[in-house]
Amino acid sequence: MSTQHNLGTVIRFEVTRALAKRSFWLATLAMPAFIALVMVLQIGSSSSISDQTQGQASAHINFAYVDDSGLVNPQIASAAGGTRIADQNVGVEQVRSGALDAFVHYPADPSSQPVQISGRDVGMFASGKYEAVAKSVLTASVSAKIGDPRLAAISSGQINSVTTTYKDGAVSGGLREALPALLFPVLFLLAIMLLGNQMLSATLEEKENRVTEMILTTIEPDRLIVGKIISLFIVGFVQFLVFSVPTVLGYIAFRDRMSLPNIDLSTLVFSPSRLIIGFLLLLGGFALVAGSLVALGAVMPTAKDAGPVFSAMILLVFMPLYASALIISDPSALIVRFFSIFPYSAPLTAMARNALGTLPVTTAIATIVWLFALAAVALVAAVRLFKYGSLSYGQRLSLRTLLPGGRERGGARG
Amino acid sequence: MTFGSTKVVRDLSFDVARGETFGFLGSNGSGKTTTIRALLGLYEPSGGVLLVNGAKFRPGQQGLGYLPEERGLYKKEQVLTTMVYFGQLKGMSAAAARAWSLDYLDRVGLADKQRVRLDKLSGGEQQKIQLGVTVMNDPELLILDEPTKGFDPVNRRLLMDIIEEQRRAGATVIMVTHQMDEVERLCDRVLLLKDGVARAYGSVPEVQAQFGAASIVVRFHGELPASDGYRIASVDNGRAELLLNPGTRPEDVLSYLAASGLSISEFTPRRRSMESIFVEVYGKEARL
Repeated sequence: MSTQHNLGTVIRFEVTRALAKRSFWLATLAMPAFIALVMVLQIGSSSSISDQTQGQASAHINFAYVDDSGLVNPQIASAAGGTRIADQNVGVEQVRSGALDAFVHYPADPSSQPVQISGRDVGMFASGKYEAVAKSVLTASVSAKIGDPRLAAISSGQINSVTTTYKDGAVSGGLREALPALLFPVLFLLAIMLLGNQMLSATLEEKENRVTEMILTTIEPDRLIVGKIISLFIVGFVQFLVFSVPTVLGYIAFRDRMSLPNIDLSTLVFSPSRLIIGFLLLLGGFALVAGSLVALGAVMPTAKDAGPVFSAMILLVFMPLYASALIISDPSALIVRFFSIFPYSAPLTAMARNALGTLPVTTAIATIVWLFALAAVALVAAVRLFKYGSLSYGQRLSLRTLLPGGRERGGARG
Repeated sequence: MTFGSTKVVRDLSFDVARGETFGFLGSNGSGKTTTIRALLGLYEPSGGVLLVNGAKFRPGQQGLGYLPEERGLYKKEQVLTTMVYFGQLKGMSAAAARAWSLDYLDRVGLADKQRVRLDKLSGGEQQKIQLGVTVMNDPELLILDEPTKGFDPVNRRLLMDIIEEQRRAGATVIMVTHQMDEVERLCDRVLLLKDGVARAYGSVPEVQAQFGAASIVVRFHGELPASDGYRIASVDNGRAELLLNPGTRPEDVLSYLAASGLSISEFTPRRRSMESIFVEVYGKEARL
């Protein structure tokens, strides 16, 4: 019996049955379906808000105003439906009586004092048109006073800029270089979210179904576990394709109608070193988490018992997200350094730092070696725990099983 | 073999010859399953060597068919998928495993259940599938731990037929069991294990002889005397059946009766049943 034959059999069996499950497709397709729903809602909401905002700003309302600033152009105000009056009390009173839609009091210094607006209530959202008209009249009047459209645009903060940074004497890619490598932490988190439960149940299933003895006398445990982990990689890849393809297609088709940043993909910088390091960190991190969850499955008698430990482990994996601001701004911070070393937070932290260009090559190599070493330990522990622990049906296994001589413990009835 | 500070199996040594059917007997907790698990590498013994065909057991390499005491299969999978999977793990091609499985399902009346999930089958039907998986690919060595445990009479008959078939095909069979009638009918040799120590080891007649005769049939003239060495089970028209008390040998009874002046025309010791030997060895501990 060749090793490859059995390994291939296990992989085929595990992948086929995972893909044959209805729950797999429901979970996998739920993500793109949800994203599509959000896209549709966002497109609808964006156009609706945009239309209403533009409509409010250009709305023609019957209003009076008092201008203490001297900035308001009477012609512009008149075109918007405004009439200048001298007494603000009169204006407010006419609004109260319903003779006017609104009254606007422009203070002497609108840059530091609020513009006072009184309006007839036409509903919470529609009443926003009074403020939109008051502001647009003032803005248009000031622009007209400046006289130069460029100066007017600059004074309103409409400034475009391009920043070029240099690293080791060469132009660095900045965000354009970071984006491709940021795919790895995203992939890592998605893989853990989508496959975490399957990793856990990889060995729990044999235990819960009392199939351990049959299987362990038929195939070597290391081959079984490795086969299961490889099949998890394959299932994860299929899952990634299933939800990423419609997501990308949706983005390409509808990005113009959504409030998303318009990224020119042709300007992305693909740094081979960052991509290789990111890939190896992804591989090591995935192997570590998969090995640990498989080991957890071998220790616990049921999925229910494994739940609290599983949640804690996943929390540790996601923990760096809480320190993301520091990871970006101050990679030398104590907490970032701790997260870079601690086994389960190291993959995400290191992948993020690698993408942002703040992970030195030596640290990257050390982290990769660290992750693969831990993954190997987790894998060996998983195999040992599965082999000697999963016979403890219905019992939580003692970690002493990992110690020399521990494999004798367990017990049998006959 | 030690669990913590408890020695479960001690100084145990036995051989099973190729092609024989070997009964591995003992009460609950006597160490039978532990010994089998150690033999198959599921436990690591604290001392000693366990060999299959002269080598340490390695999964998938020695043509093993193992029916463990704790049984189960992938409950969420279809019958045929599960059988083909195990067949492939045992070295069969997918096509051969599929063909064998379909033949077997037809034989045991489950041909129409090949696409059904295992957890949708009845307990008895699941037992049949478990048996099928055990004997796939004609194992050279068949280890059956409490084979009839939980089996209904129909499946028990099926199991016995399959064991017979495997024996005829030349398989070595090790049965861990409590069923003494099966032992007498099927086993060439047996080993009785108590508290991790072998109490008897040999062919069935040898073990029966080792534990003495169970009863003696006597034809006589005269007055049959009472004795502490036996109980009189029945007396009828000059014929009596005497049940020997533990420690009493037939020759002692013969001497005693002759000394009592009894005229004896027949004196026939009968072998003890394996069941009575089992009861004697395990006494009140035995929890059948």
